[in-house]
Amino acid sequence: MGNETNSVQSATTAETSWFCCGGGWGPCGSAGGGACGNCQSGSYMCAWPNTSDACFNITRPDQCGDNLLRWGCGHTFYVRNLCGANEIAVRIADCGPHTNYWCGERSCCSGNCATDRLLDLTPAAYSAIGNLSSGIMPISVHS
Amino acid sequence: MNNPLDRRRFLTSAVLGSAGVVAGATALGSLAPEAVAAPMPKLDKNGIDPNFAEGRITAINGSMLMVTASDRSFHRIQLTKATSVWKLRPTTMDQAKVGDGLYARGVRMPDGVLAADALWLNIVNLEAHIVSMGTNVLHLDHNGNRLVGHVVPGTTAAVYNGTPAVRDLSMLQVGKHAQVIGAWRPDTNEVDIATVYAAAA
Repeated sequence: MGNETNSVQSATTAETSWFCCGGGWGPCGSAGGGACGNCQSGSYMCAWPNTSDACFNITRPDQCGDNLLRWGCGHTFYVRNLCGANEIAVRIADCGPHTNYWCGERSCCSGNCATDRLLDLTPAAYSAIGNLSSGIMPISVHS
Repeated sequence: MNNPLDRRRFLTSAVLGSAGVVAGATALGSLAPEAVAAPMPKLDKNGIDPNFAEGRITAINGSMLMVTASDRSFHRIQLTKATSVWKLRPTTMDQAKVGDGLYARGVRMPDGVLAADALWLNIVNLEAHIVSMGTNVLHLDHNGNRLVGHVVPGTTAAVYNGTPAVRDLSMLQVGKHAQVIGAWRPDTNEVDIATVYAAAA
């Protein structure tokens, strides 16, 4: 993913993890509605690293060489596990992930690999295309 | 080759409909949660997936879990011998206890019951910083809250920079960030660590 301009208009690859929001149990109990205020773990939603200046200053995907366009709350991405056939639609509901924490990290499945965390999914979305216990998976994503 | 999802869905439906098929489901073996991925479901206007549930177990009646969701809605979740269950590691349905938190995915039946293909008990995914380390324990800062992460010998694994998981945790560093997949100990600030993702020292 690094060193390329990535609008995610056309399909590209990235890593994704999952996050809870909108209330929950355990450590998720303090999770709120996210940057957009409407995030819920049971919805097909996602976090994107460039939803605003404030968001970008936290996630800094540019430090990994990922030049991401700004997309706001409600924008829809289409996501597929690189080892799966099913594609889901998710809407931006939060800011994240901390892309710059994981620059260069690479995930693979069956020889299909992706680099850099550019998207986080809610548990409902992540579990629709992967296993929550995996923690991270390579995906194809496009607008 | 048969679609594993179709196979699981057949098994789930069959198990719910006929006890006689249970033995057949067991003989065919359980399916990994990865196989659960479904065609795009019909979502409501808020994007809620009816085939997914979260909440805490308030009662267990045989293989039926009574669950109260975070929004106070109520779910009945039916487990079968084909349900994949995770609680720190892949396990069996008898490990579900009242008070456990959960995420479940399956098929919503006409009577509102969620027939579970996969069940994750107490699973958490934490972005945290390592505050300190001790013998078989990591002290974590998660969004300003302190958490105790227990290393479980024989289970806890580390993934450094996306490399294959190893048992060696010696490359973890105090002050560095980490992602922890683990199992929450209900009503505490403690988790048992399944996998910790970190940058190598």
